Amino acid sequence: MGTITDKQGVQRYIVDLMVNGDPHTVVIKGNTLLVNVLRDELDLTGTKKGCETGDCGSCTILLDGKPVDACLVLAAEADGCEITTIEGVAQHGELDRLQKSFLDNAAVQCGYCSPGMIMSAKALLTRNPNPSEHEVRKAIGGNLCRCTGYVNIVKAVLAVAEEEAR
Amino acid sequence: MSGTETQNYAVIGKSVPKIDGRDKITGAARYTADLKFPNMLFGKILTSPHAHARILSIDTSEAEKIPGVKAVVTHKDAPTLKYGISPARWDENIFCIDTVKFVGDKVAAVACIDEETCYKALAAIKVEYEVLPAVLDPLRARDEDQPQIHPEFERNINAEIHQDFGDIEEAFRAAHYVRTDTFVGNRTYQTPIEPHTATSMWDGDKLTVYSSTQSPHYFQYYIAREFGLPMGNVRVLKTYVGGGFGGKLEPTGLEFGGAVLAKITGRPVKMFYDRAEMFAHNRGRHRQYMTLTTGVDEKGKILGVHADFIMDGGAYTSLGIATAYYAGAMLTLTYEFDHFRFDMFRVYTNLPACGAQRGHGAPQPRYAFEAHLDNIAKHLGIDPMDIRILNARRPNTVTPNEFAVNSCEMKACLEQARVLSGWDEKKGKLPKGRGIGVATGSFVTGAGYPIYRTDLPHAAAMIKVGEDGTSATLYTGAVDIGQGSDTILCQMAAEAMGYTYEQMKIVAADTETTPHDFGAYASRQTLMSGAAVKQAGEEVKKQLLEVAAEELDFPVSDLDVRSGVVFSPADPNVTMPFADVARRHFVTRGPLVGKGSYTPPKLGGTFKGAPVGTSPAYSFAAQVSEVQIDEETGEVTVLDVWDVHDCGTVINPSLLHAQVHGALFMGMGESIWEEVKFDDKGRILNPNLSEYRLPTALDMPRIHSSLVDSYEPAGPWGVKEVGEGATLPTMGCLRNAIFDAMGVSVNSLPLGYEKVWRALKDKREEAGSQKAG
Amino acid sequence: MFLPDFDYYAPSDLQEACDLLRNLGPRAKVLAGGTDLLVKMKSGLLAPEALVSLKALDELKKIEYVSGKGVVIGGRATHNDLVDSPVLHEHFLSISEAAHQMANNQIRNRGTVAGNLVNAIPSADLPPILIALGADITLVGSKVSRTVPLDSFFTGPSCCVIDPEDEILTEIVIPEQDTTGSTYIKFGLRRSGALAVTGVAAAVTMDGDVIVDSRICLGAVFRVPVRAHDAEDLLRGKTWSDELLTEAGEAAACCALPIDDIRGTAEYRLDLVRVLTGRALRKAITEGHV
Repeated sequence: MGTITDKQGVQRYIVDLMVNGDPHTVVIKGNTLLVNVLRDELDLTGTKKGCETGDCGSCTILLDGKPVDACLVLAAEADGCEITTIEGVAQHGELDRLQKSFLDNAAVQCGYCSPGMIMSAKALLTRNPNPSEHEVRKAIGGNLCRCTGYVNIVKAVLAVAEEEAR
Repeated sequence: MSGTETQNYAVIGKSVPKIDGRDKITGAARYTADLKFPNMLFGKILTSPHAHARILSIDTSEAEKIPGVKAVVTHKDAPTLKYGISPARWDENIFCIDTVKFVGDKVAAVACIDEETCYKALAAIKVEYEVLPAVLDPLRARDEDQPQIHPEFERNINAEIHQDFGDIEEAFRAAHYVRTDTFVGNRTYQTPIEPHTATSMWDGDKLTVYSSTQSPHYFQYYIAREFGLPMGNVRVLKTYVGGGFGGKLEPTGLEFGGAVLAKITGRPVKMFYDRAEMFAHNRGRHRQYMTLTTGVDEKGKILGVHADFIMDGGAYTSLGIATAYYAGAMLTLTYEFDHFRFDMFRVYTNLPACGAQRGHGAPQPRYAFEAHLDNIAKHLGIDPMDIRILNARRPNTVTPNEFAVNSCEMKACLEQARVLSGWDEKKGKLPKGRGIGVATGSFVTGAGYPIYRTDLPHAAAMIKVGEDGTSATLYTGAVDIGQGSDTILCQMAAEAMGYTYEQMKIVAADTETTPHDFGAYASRQTLMSGAAVKQAGEEVKKQLLEVAAEELDFPVSDLDVRSGVVFSPADPNVTMPFADVARRHFVTRGPLVGKGSYTPPKLGGTFKGAPVGTSPAYSFAAQVSEVQIDEETGEVTVLDVWDVHDCGTVINPSLLHAQVHGALFMGMGESIWEEVKFDDKGRILNPNLSEYRLPTALDMPRIHSSLVDSYEPAGPWGVKEVGEGATLPTMGCLRNAIFDAMGVSVNSLPLGYEKVWRALKDKREEAGSQKAG
Repeated sequence: MFLPDFDYYAPSDLQEACDLLRNLGPRAKVLAGGTDLLVKMKSGLLAPEALVSLKALDELKKIEYVSGKGVVIGGRATHNDLVDSPVLHEHFLSISEAAHQMANNQIRNRGTVAGNLVNAIPSADLPPILIALGADITLVGSKVSRTVPLDSFFTGPSCCVIDPEDEILTEIVIPEQDTTGSTYIKFGLRRSGALAVTGVAAAVTMDGDVIVDSRICLGAVFRVPVRAHDAEDLLRGKTWSDELLTEAGEAAACCALPIDDIRGTAEYRLDLVRVLTGRALRKAITEGHV
């Protein structure tokens, strides 16, 4: 990771990120959070900010395949990492079947938690294509939703698993 | 809506996918905080660290010197008109002038080149305060020795209500049993997952505000008033809103302060609350202290009810005057009785202001009443289900406070809940630690009177059919905050026009491009906005059929249109695509446009406060819940909840049940887990999502949502509300289930584990001492 | 919210990391997962001028079994590394299970064992089970390294014996032992994203129905995670029974000195210690996995 010092004497870091398969190089300060790089620098605003303390899961992304809160990751810490955001889930305009299932099962209301929720569920299904209901609930336990009571979200994730099992 | 009638509709009654669903699941949906404008600044508000203090001086000079700080403003730079829900109680300023009244009150604001600089600037503003004694206990707020928060409101009384219907003394004299119970509610917060955000910008004398709002119109009204602008010079619009639940119904410092900063800097200013600031701004559920006295006859028939309440309003009125009236008004709906007295004090305290949260004022009194009713049933030896069925309101009745109820399937809801939950097999027969409870609820389908005094219609809509007829756009001021109004209004438009949902587009919630609508509150849009949309669709249909009659050379009275095809019920050979007819309309007569508006009929009585609680229609619901209690720790596990709703005709079953899930979730959270807590200085102890505990996916029970057949004559196609109604029964239902499981009553919300543990411990100790005695 | 300014370092080996800490002195903090540190910095509770990241120190991520020594967990192992570790599943499943009860999935993917220990929050979930299983920790400094029993690592809320200007917690060693059953029971106010109101870990060595030895450690009810020695003494050499476990619960409660806080009163916590100790012992005795 390269560094430069600006005219005010502030150290800046040159960070390489592979986001949704695209290489990006950004120059950031030490205190720059990954969530802000994604939203403000790369304009990937699908990653939401809800609490900024790792309690709500709105900013969930996959960092080297694992769901993490982008509000609690320094951009510098993500140097050299592969990142998947909600914008990287659909491929060539084709929805992922998990996304389709969210639509089919009316799992979206205000939609603010949906990107994070989908990232958590996506990571679960990649690891465990046939989870139990409890495993689904555990996987999204760090994603708060105020609209749905989680009923249709859990249903949507399980529907994908059932489809997989068939 | 009965199943047979649903089949007559082409578009409504079907679970079409949400119109905005794809945008929301791909990350494409832009919420207010996602919007960027050229040259945009970031703004933040400096708030009071004290619950009550006099502002001696504000020194902004150091902050102004920080590179990147573009403006620092205080009350001296802003309009000083007070605002609030009603002229008699306008009590809040954009920035505090003399005193701050709660921890979080607005003192100053900054606009800077980035967010980080904002925080540095806020830290550099020096405010000198003289700390004053604070009112923190609502029960003491009216005492003579308490500080006065607003000079014009003596003894900190924000509102005092005394309503008397029938003859309550006589009802109690005639009663077989009269019982009094006292319950206490909790301060909760709407907690939308999306933080409040507003971006303001001026173009000459015209102000545009993008806001995360439930009511662009209400914001427009108050912003225009503050800045002395004609409403036409204020444009308020939203993109996507990440939940509101009542908390985004009134303008905040973000809109007012943002407009001031944008004017001074001449640049767009994006203002936002972080999570702790959201809690401080609050406007959540009032904590209510509720004493109920009820007289019943020997069979359990309710004769009269006296509700004697105090509510903690916090530092300002906010929307709370309505909350105070709703608290009593809505108690008369689910059960029939003739005599009712309601006494209420809404008091000021030096705590964040409370406002409207899902179920507006009604859920806590409903908890109290349902718990109270179970106590009465237990005393009389009556099954809680039976006492409710005995008293259940019937259709076409009038409440003692003069609300006319048309459709009402309260009894059917209870009977169905009884069957679905297996009540009779379970009640009194469950294993140790397991309990079952029932409760009811009812809610308005839109308020009978506007949110501020005006003679505007409550809703309006326009539909413009595209030139070639292959699409149509609905323009509505209705506000989709996640509940799905954009979707169901498009379904309604398509149904009324004889068109298809898939061809509908929508432009909504923009005071400049869409016709007026009061917005998303009081569960009003399906009925009220829907009525306007239906009228607009029918107007399109009428014009379309006139052209079709000409084109087909067929009498217009013999033509109809459905699912995008004009046809004749009389002659199967007569048919023409909607699109072709619409195109002909454009060619021969110009744009094919329909419009509609809705004003409710005159409703309610003439007594003071009579308008609050009036509505064209009321939803009804029964809930049964089954819980498991850990006797040693007090831990409550909610196993199953059955919700049976009477919500009239259903436009979109999937979205409807999703509303029940969400309303029930919020009610559950408030029942067991959620409470905003304060220290002895009035500071919030848990302004975060770790200690203010929304239930997680792991905490939720199995939820069973079902409906009874119902048709509401006052609503378009027979609709009424669902989105708030399901919050109402939940708290009482869970209390009653715990009561059933353990025989202990927890008389304050939330019914947290420690409270249950303590109630069980007290019961054991009492039993022990009786044995010893 | 925002993070105050700081310089960021990502040393490439342990020696460099320790040297950096020593050179930067009190201005620096170690950044492991950041799930606690960054929240404290955003809240204004901490404002270090430099963060020394352990990101590049992959050797601290291992979880391995070393014959004759026991299981070695690298300080940078995340909570989910513990949850998923086949080594732990084989040797100390109860540690995996305890880790699985922490925070939420996203936090478990970032938060580290070393962070959880060095933060020294009395309600932390890992210390009770690690102490009950007799774990030692290794602290590596620029000059020397040392091994400390975890039982004597904590000195108060947010305080421990690590030298923050020199040392890094590199590994946790859970020694080979004849423990026959262990478990950690957490009592939180919801099922995800909740700190423990009380947590109790128990490890027992059984000979048939006789409790040869036991270790009980209580979380969130004292200034530090605390052993319930009175209860352990009471159990030693006795045949287990319901009554005995009840007595042990009562004895454990005598070892706790909880406070009232936003999550619960001291009175409630004491009773939870009593109840959860009995339950943890029963589970350790009857379910028979370590």
